[in-house]
Amino acid sequence: MMATKTFRCPARHGYAVEVSPFVPQRLACAASQYYGITGSGSLFVLDQTETGMVLVRSWEWGDGLFDVAWSEANEHVLVAGGGDGSLQLWDSANQHAPLRVAKEHRQEVYSVDWSQTRGENLIVSGSWDRSVKVWDQDLSRSLTTLQGHEGVVYSTVWSPHIPGCIASASGDGTLRVWDVKAAACRLAVPAHKAEILSCDWCKYDQNLVATGSVDCSVCVWDLRNVRQPVSQLLGHTYAIRRVKFSPFSQTVLASCSYDFTVRFWDFGGSRPLLDTVEHHSEFVCGLDFNLHIPHQVVDCSWDETVKIYSPACLTAAARSAAS
Amino acid sequence: MERLKVISGHLLPRGPSEPLRVLRSCGSGSSVPGTGEEVVVVHGRRTAIGKAKRGSFKDTTPDELLSAVMSAVLADVGLPAARLGDVCVGNVLQPGAGALMARVAHFLSGFPETVPVYTVNRQCSSGLQALLNIAGAIRSGSIELGLACGVESMSLRSIGNPGDLSSRLVENDKARDCLVPMGITSENVAERFGVSREKQDAFALSSQLKAAQAQNSGRFDQEIVPVTVSVTDESGRESRLQVRKDEGIRTGTTLDGLSRLRPAFKPDGSTTAGNSSQVSDGAAAVLLGRRSAVEVLGLPVLAVLRGSAVVGVPPDLMGIGPAVAIPAALRQAGLSLDDIDVFEINEAFASQALYCVEKLGLPLEKVNPNGGAIALGHPLGCTGARQVVTLLNELRRRGRRAYGVVSMCIGTGMGAAAVFEFPGPQREEGGRVAGRT
Repeated sequence: MMATKTFRCPARHGYAVEVSPFVPQRLACAASQYYGITGSGSLFVLDQTETGMVLVRSWEWGDGLFDVAWSEANEHVLVAGGGDGSLQLWDSANQHAPLRVAKEHRQEVYSVDWSQTRGENLIVSGSWDRSVKVWDQDLSRSLTTLQGHEGVVYSTVWSPHIPGCIASASGDGTLRVWDVKAAACRLAVPAHKAEILSCDWCKYDQNLVATGSVDCSVCVWDLRNVRQPVSQLLGHTYAIRRVKFSPFSQTVLASCSYDFTVRFWDFGGSRPLLDTVEHHSEFVCGLDFNLHIPHQVVDCSWDETVKIYSPACLTAAARSAAS
Repeated sequence: MERLKVISGHLLPRGPSEPLRVLRSCGSGSSVPGTGEEVVVVHGRRTAIGKAKRGSFKDTTPDELLSAVMSAVLADVGLPAARLGDVCVGNVLQPGAGALMARVAHFLSGFPETVPVYTVNRQCSSGLQALLNIAGAIRSGSIELGLACGVESMSLRSIGNPGDLSSRLVENDKARDCLVPMGITSENVAERFGVSREKQDAFALSSQLKAAQAQNSGRFDQEIVPVTVSVTDESGRESRLQVRKDEGIRTGTTLDGLSRLRPAFKPDGSTTAGNSSQVSDGAAAVLLGRRSAVEVLGLPVLAVLRGSAVVGVPPDLMGIGPAVAIPAALRQAGLSLDDIDVFEINEAFASQALYCVEKLGLPLEKVNPNGGAIALGHPLGCTGARQVVTLLNELRRRGRRAYGVVSMCIGTGMGAAAVFEFPGPQREEGGRVAGRT
């Protein structure tokens, strides 16, 4: 296993990381001052080197930043969501002020995602104002506002398979699936009795969605039959902050938690927990798989670090899946 | 603080300290602003502590002492009394725990009739209990600002009539133990836990020395409210004098002198007048508020109440109270003994104070750095509030972010403790620090 690479951002507490879809060694991190409770925010663009990470670009924002997503159309562009309810479009080739700022949400924006289905180029945002908004890639104004959640929206993710399809997770305990063209909620799953802080689509099976909840469990759902989850993954001892499906393996996913750990799961096997990584000293909020470098994972934590590592369990899981 | 509430809501309570962990992790840098819901101490003052029956307050009614501190605290911060949501006064010996006396004191201080008041009696912890009661009312949202006080005149009232008790008391061991004189409980602790006469005397001497040093270097000057009173001497002559110094401190105390004192409660005992707390008169008042309300009014934040606990212990060993209450309060606050910089542990008797210090493994230099009740005196209802005033003044004097604990044993078998955080000098000024570095 390669050594872990660590980037320290003093006085900034990481909320989200995402690996660039274009540049294999590049990642973005949205971080906030004072644990995001108050103060300002920072957006970092980092490149990994052999032994660590270097800062390529960073910007300051007047409020905390809670999520970041790379553009799927332009390798320099990213969108971030802020505590002031704004979305900002940034250009990593340009040090100056954001390309665009869109302020429609009335409360914190906790989630941003850029659609991956080609030809679409839409951005989705989820906010504590309970709404989900869809935007064009210029952030000129929202195209649709999706209402229905009865609690704060924590997570909004485009389906990688079905155009115009979004999954959202909310404090109201439901996982919802939306059809953007019809501007309607297609499915509302009462997935947990507690708040759901994260959701993600399986990259291989268009019907599978994972949810991570305050009840400390990760559930995998088949949207064709939502009466009970396909799998319930237990092990975390505090709320789950983010879930991510592996880009390389159909049944592998990762979760990070307030219990300071990142856990890797294979829900296809009899013993789902593959490994627990305990290299943080505070809540772990950001998590992403590197889709260019198999088995490499990026995370960020309130302990002011961003880490890149390659857990052995992922290589082992790939080997056993192949055999 | 919406965001903090949301995140706190993500932490399923697994124990009382769990939700507070978020607050604590957010507070690990001294420049982090606190949540508006915290209970904060704005200010506190006390009178000097007079020797009962022979000292300067011997002819002073408790309402006068109480009125003096209540007025001083509000005048110091420029807060009109009308802003107070409630006032709670700790008192033990007055009839009905001084409920009428407290209302009279109100009006002597010129408080408007619209401000309510009540009194509380949990024996030696009453002054601290008053603070915990006001804190509770703030937390439950029924008030925004409150005054917690304590007062006792042991000159004018003695521990006497125990009240109307059932005759079944004699058949019930624990009930009977409630009538054990405090001095005997001290002997019980000394014998059961092996606290020798020598150690008790050494502890008593240390209390006297620390108090004398504090008094002489002027450490108490800021917290003491001078009170002008009348004193009538044996020949009936009345004079007016201003009292501004604690009277219990016996400079010139020596180990030798202490060792010659005869046991006061048991012929072959170890508890003497020299290693016991003194019978005294005094009052103290502490202004508390919800942080958001305090900041809106531009009032300073002197300290934050971080946790508290009241526990029960065997009545015949009541002195061990702090040894049980302090860990309970620390658990509630999410802190450990090592986090605490100063402990104010009431010295009801050297035997029990020492037992608690040793049981908890506390470094002696952290305990009562400015002396304790052995030197200063223990006006029952006042003590808890007095310890808070002295503790917070000491933390402020040291000038850096620190935690302190106030604790005492309680007659009939209880212990109480509260944990305070002094946020550091830059956080004392009123108003939120914007936090842009």
